[in-house]
Amino acid sequence: MAKPAVAGRRGASVWFQGLACGALATLATPTALLAGMLLIPSFVVATLDRGAGKPVARAVLLCGLAASALPMADLWAGGHGMGQGVALATDPRVLAVAWAAQAAGWLMAALAPVLVRVLLDAHAGGEMARLRRERAALEADWASGQEAMLGQGGAKAR
Amino acid sequence: MAPPNPVQPTPSSEPLIAGRYAVDPAHPLPGAGGGLAAFAAIDRHSGRSGLMAVQVRPDAPPRAGALGALSAVARPGVLLPLAHGPALGPDRRPAWFVICPAPPGPALWPAGVAAPKPWNDTELVTRLLRPAAGALAFLAEQNMTYRALRPDNLFVDPGAGDALVLGCAWAGPPALLQPALFEPPYVAMCPGPARGEGTVADDVYALGVLLLALALGRLPLAGLDDATIVRRKLELGCFQALTADARLSPQFADLVRGMLAQDPRHRPAPDVLADPAGARARHVAARPPRRAPRSLEVGGIAAWDARTLAHAIARAPHDGVKLLRLGVADHWLRRVLSDTALASRVEEAQAHRAAEAAPQDAVADSRLAMRVVAMLDPLAPLCWDGVSVWPDGIGPALADPALAPRLERLVACEAVSDWAAARAEHCDAPALRTQARHSRAMLTQRGWAGGLSRLLYGLNPLLPCRSPVLAGALVTRLADVPHALEAASARPEARAQPPIDHELAAFIAARQDQRLEGEILALDDGDGPGIAMLPQLVLLARLQKQSEPGPLPGLAGWLAGLAGPVLDGWRSRARRLIKQASLTAAIPLGDLAALLAILDDAEAHDADNRASDAAQAGIRRIDARLAMLAEAGQARAGAARRLGEEIAAALGLAALAATTVAAALR
Repeated sequence: MAKPAVAGRRGASVWFQGLACGALATLATPTALLAGMLLIPSFVVATLDRGAGKPVARAVLLCGLAASALPMADLWAGGHGMGQGVALATDPRVLAVAWAAQAAGWLMAALAPVLVRVLLDAHAGGEMARLRRERAALEADWASGQEAMLGQGGAKAR
Repeated sequence: MAPPNPVQPTPSSEPLIAGRYAVDPAHPLPGAGGGLAAFAAIDRHSGRSGLMAVQVRPDAPPRAGALGALSAVARPGVLLPLAHGPALGPDRRPAWFVICPAPPGPALWPAGVAAPKPWNDTELVTRLLRPAAGALAFLAEQNMTYRALRPDNLFVDPGAGDALVLGCAWAGPPALLQPALFEPPYVAMCPGPARGEGTVADDVYALGVLLLALALGRLPLAGLDDATIVRRKLELGCFQALTADARLSPQFADLVRGMLAQDPRHRPAPDVLADPAGARARHVAARPPRRAPRSLEVGGIAAWDARTLAHAIARAPHDGVKLLRLGVADHWLRRVLSDTALASRVEEAQAHRAAEAAPQDAVADSRLAMRVVAMLDPLAPLCWDGVSVWPDGIGPALADPALAPRLERLVACEAVSDWAAARAEHCDAPALRTQARHSRAMLTQRGWAGGLSRLLYGLNPLLPCRSPVLAGALVTRLADVPHALEAASARPEARAQPPIDHELAAFIAARQDQRLEGEILALDDGDGPGIAMLPQLVLLARLQKQSEPGPLPGLAGWLAGLAGPVLDGWRSRARRLIKQASLTAAIPLGDLAALLAILDDAEAHDADNRASDAAQAGIRRIDARLAMLAEAGQARAGAARRLGEEIAAALGLAALAATTVAAALR
């Protein structure tokens, strides 16, 4: 019973996303054009990301949106014309900034888990070293007499 | 015979017997010790010379009862013991000596010397019979026997009108060196150490033979071996065997006949002998044994009557048992000897044997032979597996390695009880049964405190300890053990093993006065290479406290050297090191109790164990945590991935918020 429900919700979400995109393209065509051009890497990553919740696409999209905020503000401040939208969407500097931000988002999504793992492993390694030292001290204090004698014999031999 | 050269002053380190008698091993007194080596001795307290020290043989302990009872009494005519103890022997090794007056003159008739001329009746009575009977009566009053009456142990005292003096008879088991000629056949058939204390009747018998020899001017039955002499005495009767071709006056013959009676109860008492006429009058005529018209041969020995059949079975028990089990012996008794009652009793014994054990049971066969011998001849000693022994001779005989295995089996099955029951009218059967049970209990006791060694030392109060640990040191008393071990500690090879071995433990168990019983039994718990030391330390510490031998640093070092496994029992390394240091510091003091207090501290041991348990629990916790951390790598990777993704998303969101605000504010 759960699978049809999830599939139904996902279908509704796609439907609403399509409706929103259609509405945006119809009602704010320059914005849709500019957003479409600036967020091309995000769409590509969203298509390729098979992880649950698309974590990489999410980071890339958020970075892309952050880089798109100023061009969008310029578009709307300049009257939200089609010509200006085309100009901004084809401006290499604007595109470079937006796409570079998304690349940085991808890099961040890729590196953050590695860095976190290194930190966690380092913490665990430190704890293990401390425990081993404690264990060695206990063993030395409570070694059997025979082991102790062997140790003394070894020391004498040395 | 007095020592030719008085003993010279000895160094203060020279051991004195009983704190006063010095032995001079450089001055032997040949022939003075009644067959044992004797040396000149002197009393350092009084300066009295004219003493001798008779050396005890290591495998033949002296007569503890006689030494104890006679040391405090004095009587002319007998060389009574004055003291006994260890001193240096002629080979400069410690030996046990019995001190007594030296013989005042030469032996009456030394061995290997030509016979004196025959004595007349007056000489025999006045010079020998009355003085010797008086001396024997004196010993009988002390509940003692002499058991060494023979011509080479009888000395002439020139200073007392050539009176005769009885020699030393205390430095070995009773009758140890008596020739078969001078002993009744039932004693002579036993090996020397197995003859027991006997009775004064045995001394009277020896005196009778001596009278006869002096009257004849020769030794009767000379040239015959001991076995033949015994057989002839049993076959013919003692008097007939010894006087076969002798001419004796009727009065003297009557006297000697009584003294040589086969049954000891028929011999006159020593005080009766003081009046020879009275002794002759009290002569009891014994009925001669019934003789069969044809003999029964057992192991090559022809038996003509019940007595000789008993002797033959005693000499050849395997052949005897074979005849008994085939019914040949009881048939011979019934049909040939015509003794139906005896035949029925022997038949009963056979039936009892058949019901008692399997046919191949050798011990049951030995028991059958013993019972039948006791039935056939109630005067005979206990005959077991080819060896004859009187019950009180078992102890000294056990010291002879050749006899010990057979006697061990005898004690293990309480044969003495059966023997006593079979001839109850001739012995104190209940007392012998009690003694047999006691001996068996010592023999069969498990552990270090029991066994053959315990029995050996228990039955021989003056037998020195045979433990190889002591390396020949003469240890006869319990109080000598600490000193001997202190001396043994100087030998490096001895220190490789614990100071108390099974032999020494048995010796201590036999000599102690029940106060050390618990400590000796505890030795069983330490029967292992690692943990033997602590129970031994407990025992030796108690022994040191009891006997107060002074500091024993050598023994303390020996025990401390073996304390490794005991120290290992302390789990804390730090505590072990402290104990080791304390131990090392305590060694020079030589106080074994202090050593024990260091090693055997129960309260500290409990605390140590508790702390150790806590440490072990801590180690287990650490191991569990380490294992968990080692196994958590995968989980950590997943968490890191999830957390990294969240951080990336959060950073993107923050950037979006920041640029949105910046765009809105522009």
